[in-house]
Amino acid sequence: MIEVDHLVKRFGAVTAVDGLSFTVRPGHVTGFLGPNGAGKTTTMRVILGLDAPTSGHARVNHQSYTELIRPLHQVGALLDATALHPGRTAQTHLASIAQSNGIKQSRVTEMLRLTGLESVANRRLKGFSLGMKQRLGIAVALLGDPPVLMFDEPVNGLDTEGIAWIRQFLRALAADGRTVLVSSHLMSEMAQTADRLIIIGRGRLIADTTTAQLIESSTRKDVLVRSPQAAELADLIKDRGATVTPQDGGALAVTGLDAPAIGDLAAEHGISLHALIPRSASLEQAYLDLTEEAADFRAAS
Amino acid sequence: MTAPVPSAASVPLAARARDILASEWTKLRSVRSTYWTLLVAVATPVAISALVAVALAHAPGKSTPVDPLLPGLISQEYGVLAVGVLGVLAFSTEYGTGLIRVTFAAVPHRRAVLAGKAAVIGALTLAAGEVVAFASFALVQAVLSGKHLGVSLSRPGVPGAVLADGLLLFVVATMGVGLGAIVRHTAGGIAALVGLIFLPAILGVLPAPWGNRIARFTLLDAARQVTALHPATNLFAPALSLLVLLAWPALTLLAAALLITRRDT
Repeated sequence: MIEVDHLVKRFGAVTAVDGLSFTVRPGHVTGFLGPNGAGKTTTMRVILGLDAPTSGHARVNHQSYTELIRPLHQVGALLDATALHPGRTAQTHLASIAQSNGIKQSRVTEMLRLTGLESVANRRLKGFSLGMKQRLGIAVALLGDPPVLMFDEPVNGLDTEGIAWIRQFLRALAADGRTVLVSSHLMSEMAQTADRLIIIGRGRLIADTTTAQLIESSTRKDVLVRSPQAAELADLIKDRGATVTPQDGGALAVTGLDAPAIGDLAAEHGISLHALIPRSASLEQAYLDLTEEAADFRAAS
Repeated sequence: MTAPVPSAASVPLAARARDILASEWTKLRSVRSTYWTLLVAVATPVAISALVAVALAHAPGKSTPVDPLLPGLISQEYGVLAVGVLGVLAFSTEYGTGLIRVTFAAVPHRRAVLAGKAAVIGALTLAAGEVVAFASFALVQAVLSGKHLGVSLSRPGVPGAVLADGLLLFVVATMGVGLGAIVRHTAGGIAALVGLIFLPAILGVLPAPWGNRIARFTLLDAARQVTALHPATNLFAPALSLLVLLAWPALTLLAAALLITRRDT
């Protein structure tokens, strides 16, 4: 479990995280969403004790990260897959990290096999592709078999195959009862991977919800109607308890009554219809609407 | 994931120290720069002491006996930069690549990481320094004894001086570790190291009494005093000079220890 409580982090005059609170629970993949510069990476660094909070705090399994002994047994993280010494091999890179937490060589070998890096274990990392480095980063995160896992933009720069691999991997980790927090700036990516969503913008919480709920609540569903007898039709629709919003060019946006019902209603009263279009907005649009303010800020700064 | 999570109480301090030393040792031996810098740090001084000894032995009409340990000592100074770079790299490459975040996420007790790196590099360069000191001594005395200018290892004061000679690489390497942690950039760390070693030495040429007053605190003069068979009278006594010599890395590492927990990565 990860708890972030009234977290504030300032870098000079810039407030990267501004009073952020949320809880990440085990058993789900939780998506950590926000535009670039929203404060996702800073929040993760504070959780890992790498950056000190200006105020508020972050806890992992009810403890402050900096108090953890051999923390890789409790939290595994992948912040930046390219953060490695190019002259080391996958084996020595993993081994040096494993040793710092008293993790045996057998576990290093196991992780190399699990991430499909066994055959390149003794190659220097400078020859590794980004996809291989991402796999190596995941191997590092899993070394201590931790109940809590954090990944910062793990699909960035990956090909379709790599993305599918990571997606399936994250789901398996959550199904195993682990707490999994994955950041991304792409709603489309998270919609397919995460069960829960924490959406932030300008360092503030915008939404803490489930993916299903977000689709349900913010997906716009209405019917666009055009008719030469629009006013008459509008009254009839309102009588059925539906809502009518006038649109540009004399069209009507109807919610609460579906297209077949509106068509039947019009036919009953001899009203001709020139257009009857069911509309729905994507989850991506819902996310963009939510983070609009944060995006404005980004463009202005 | 159902395995019991080790708590602070279940992992003894000695085991945690051993973990960090093992980890840092793996890091050190798994990069090429370690081997290159050590090769330069060992081969250059040994070669130079041989050259200096030959030059001394063939100097015409030399009646005043030079300090027979001097060639071995001076040569050690040519290994200083190489091990200093080795020390700086320990932290600067981790900061440069971002690997430091992986390291500190694995070991949140940052001062333990600093101590671990200093210990591992210190041990390696101490061993290398002593190898250089005794190899240089053997070479130089072999050349000088032909001219009856040499000294034997059994002469009082000589073993101590040669042992102390071996300290210089250790002193500079551990100072480099501290500077790497403070400056966090390779080039800047090396520049700081060169500045701290050589700038005070230049100030030593100031007119009396300032030249001497400064010289007794400089790293290289302290090192020469510690290892001299005939200590200079204008500097601190050898015992005090040894303290001065060790104070350089000690104070650098202390400053690094104070800064390392205060800064974000």
